[in-house]
Amino acid sequence: MRVFKKTNINFMAIRGKMYFVSSTIIILGLISLFVKGVNYGIDFRGGTELVLSFSAAPDFGKLRSALAAAGLGDSEIKSFGNDQTILIRTTKQEEGMTVANNIKTAIQKDLSDLKFQVLREDKIGPKIGKELRQDAVYAVIATLAIILSYIAIRYKYIYGVGAVLSLYHDVLLTLGIISILDGVFPALNLEITQEIIAALLTLVGLSVNDTVVVFDRIRENSKIYRSMSLMDVMNKSLNDTLSRTIITSGTILMVLLVLLFVGGEVTRGFAFTLTIGIITGTYSSIYIASAIVLDNNLRKKITA
Amino acid sequence: MRNQFSRIFLILAAVVVSLVFLYPTFQDYQFRKKLASLSGQDSITYAEQNQDAILSAKLKRIKLGLDLQGGMRVVLEVDVIQLLESLAKNQDDNFHAIIKEIRSQATTNDESVIPMFGKKFAERGIRMSRYYGNIRDADNAILTQLDGETAKAIDRAIEIVRNRVDQYRVSEPNIQKQGSRRIIVDLPGVKDEREVSSLLQGTAMLEFRLLREATVSYRVMQSIDDFLAGKVVGDTASAAKTGQKAEESKDALQDLLGNNKPSSTDTSKESKFIHEHPFFSNVSPDQRNSGEAYVLDRNRDRVIQLLSRSDVQRLLPADFEFLWSAKTAQNPDGKKFYTLFAVKKQAELTGKVIVDARASVNPEDNRPIVNMEMNSEGSRDWARITGANINKRIAIVLDNAVFSAPTVINKITGGRSQITNMESPNEAKLMEIVLKAGALPAPVSIIEQRSVGPSLGEDSIRSGLTATGISVILTILFMIVYYHTAGATADIALVFNLLFILGILAGFSATLTLSGIAGILITIGVAVDANVLINERVREELAGGKTLSAAIDAGYRRAWTAIIDAHVTSFLTGLVLYQFGTGSVQGFALTLMIGIAASLFSSVVITRVLINIMMSRGINPNFG
Repeated sequence: MRVFKKTNINFMAIRGKMYFVSSTIIILGLISLFVKGVNYGIDFRGGTELVLSFSAAPDFGKLRSALAAAGLGDSEIKSFGNDQTILIRTTKQEEGMTVANNIKTAIQKDLSDLKFQVLREDKIGPKIGKELRQDAVYAVIATLAIILSYIAIRYKYIYGVGAVLSLYHDVLLTLGIISILDGVFPALNLEITQEIIAALLTLVGLSVNDTVVVFDRIRENSKIYRSMSLMDVMNKSLNDTLSRTIITSGTILMVLLVLLFVGGEVTRGFAFTLTIGIITGTYSSIYIASAIVLDNNLRKKITA
Repeated sequence: MRNQFSRIFLILAAVVVSLVFLYPTFQDYQFRKKLASLSGQDSITYAEQNQDAILSAKLKRIKLGLDLQGGMRVVLEVDVIQLLESLAKNQDDNFHAIIKEIRSQATTNDESVIPMFGKKFAERGIRMSRYYGNIRDADNAILTQLDGETAKAIDRAIEIVRNRVDQYRVSEPNIQKQGSRRIIVDLPGVKDEREVSSLLQGTAMLEFRLLREATVSYRVMQSIDDFLAGKVVGDTASAAKTGQKAEESKDALQDLLGNNKPSSTDTSKESKFIHEHPFFSNVSPDQRNSGEAYVLDRNRDRVIQLLSRSDVQRLLPADFEFLWSAKTAQNPDGKKFYTLFAVKKQAELTGKVIVDARASVNPEDNRPIVNMEMNSEGSRDWARITGANINKRIAIVLDNAVFSAPTVINKITGGRSQITNMESPNEAKLMEIVLKAGALPAPVSIIEQRSVGPSLGEDSIRSGLTATGISVILTILFMIVYYHTAGATADIALVFNLLFILGILAGFSATLTLSGIAGILITIGVAVDANVLINERVREELAGGKTLSAAIDAGYRRAWTAIIDAHVTSFLTGLVLYQFGTGSVQGFALTLMIGIAASLFSSVVITRVLINIMMSRGINPNFG
């Protein structure tokens, strides 16, 4: 079965416009990041987080006043998957599980007509939160450095730069979209937790997959079609690998969508992040990674 | 052709190894299903008869992470400030002021506590030797010493925690040191977090207790046995008298005899013994007349239950208590057993008198020993106690568990004792830690605590498996539709891939978490990618006019570089995640790495072998 006839799309021709599109979305994302920020889970901020499953959907107002009476009025209250399951989060720090117990007692007292079950109960001390943040940053830097080195070794240095810039693009874009969409859909909790960082790094890995396949083809075609301009070689390579790119991204996307819809609340943020990431990753392999290499070459030819 | 054979052999070997590793998980699943389907008494009998098989399957199965099983994870850290406070002597107002400052600064400042501590003293121009070490020690030397103390404290804390968790009888707990100051404690299935946090904190109690005489010990055990046997007889008799329903009397006997209750038709000598000796069928007194008794690991809970009965408690004389050994030993059959000691309730001495303990080697016979030193008050008491109890045994008890029960050889004055007869240097090291644990503080604070309720765990398992199942089915269908035969071989390779991933997880006794399942899903995508690369390439070569066999060759060859690069970069990402992540992220990284490695093998080698087999039989694989 074939879906893709032999294509001959001139991808590189419109790269200027695509630079523009990318920049716009990234800038929007950055604005959102600065203005609205992202929602940090307690992994990075420290605090206590409870997930309670109630016998019937509780009234948020009553929950809030119950917590306020316990001195925890500024806690976050969200639904977790369905409206009978509630997530309560506060950054208040106290010894052991005192905060968690206070929350439970307060709710039992004020919402005495509802029974609840504790699905999850987490407490992160302040030091760990800071460490996790640091580790996350190191992990991101390490990944980008490793990938830069690997690609620079296997291909040329500029390809490494192109790849890494496309990864930056992916991560920024995804973070921006997360920031914009957080809280927009009631069922979608997009907090930055350790799992989200793992998702970002995974998408880096998958995006590089894509990029590498294109680069590999460019390398091969450059050797075969020596007289072709770099732009034509790139276009040909992109067209050659187009069906593979679409199918692979499609397969992974399908798996992610299954996880997103069937996988339950716990993995939802992770699945969503990766879904966005795959889409941007595919796009960036074409329009950022390759385009940057091309433009770099063109510029060099002009100045050199 | 030889190449082909070795490849096939490799594949089969990998499959067999995976299946062997996975078999215990399968067994464990079967057992659980069987036990759930049998009712009440039958299930207990079944469990009893197959106990060893069930236990061994449980040990070797794939472990489920806390997010799938439910349970608690606690991360403890040495409370350095409290440690510094309790190690200091001659504490005066200056000292307390410094401690107070450090304490308030430690929460905001991230700088290491001990250097900060040193600075405070320097600022005030006070020498640290006033509070620590010898008068001539320089501040730097003391700071290094304190650093060392912190490191040793964590080892003590680990042993104390391990001891307590053991007594709490959590199944498959995991206690690990993290870095130089932290302990990670995983307690699957634990729900009551309040009980657990008290379990993990608080100072340890070390005691020296005299063992009761062997004759007394056996007499008490005999009386318990008689009493319980009498209850068996009495209960059966009274049940017959009052016409009590058969079921109810059965349950009462059940309490007494536990799983050892034979069926009423079993008249073998063994069942008779069990019936007549409800206590001794679980507790074997030491034939050498030491007063000890031995209990198999699997019977321990039942014996604990029997001993905690109030009517049994009344049989114990004054100043008499049964204590368990802290660790298990192995009998010649390889089965683990605990030792039951009869000790005096009143402790002769507490661990606070210990000044130092050191594991060492006896220069005369090169066997491991532990040297113990007490303070002046302790030395006096110790001389009195040892003098009055020569040839008797004294149990060293930490948090109510007996670590050792050496015999007193002679009266010990001057407070320096030697504990000999250690089985190994490790045992001596453990004794050193235990003795110090009672004397020196090892204060820990809980810096992270996560608990997942079992229902969330079950939900997660269900959704994880469903997602995997659906993904696999959709992928398989798609590959067949789009790539025909080539797609089918890719699908077969995918199934092998999943088998290998699970097999490796089982082989390493790794834990499967929900993130791990997510990792498997990503692996499915990456594995499929390799085959897509190959198949697309083959199609291109075919379109370019090559013969089928040449196209396949070229396709595999040319796609290889891209496949390697893609897999390696994903693998490296997984490596970074494993290094910098904790808990669930590590679970994800682990399955990702395993999956990518396995995928390299299955997607390339297995599909090639299958295609070659087809070609050699004259079937032309269709690449769509």
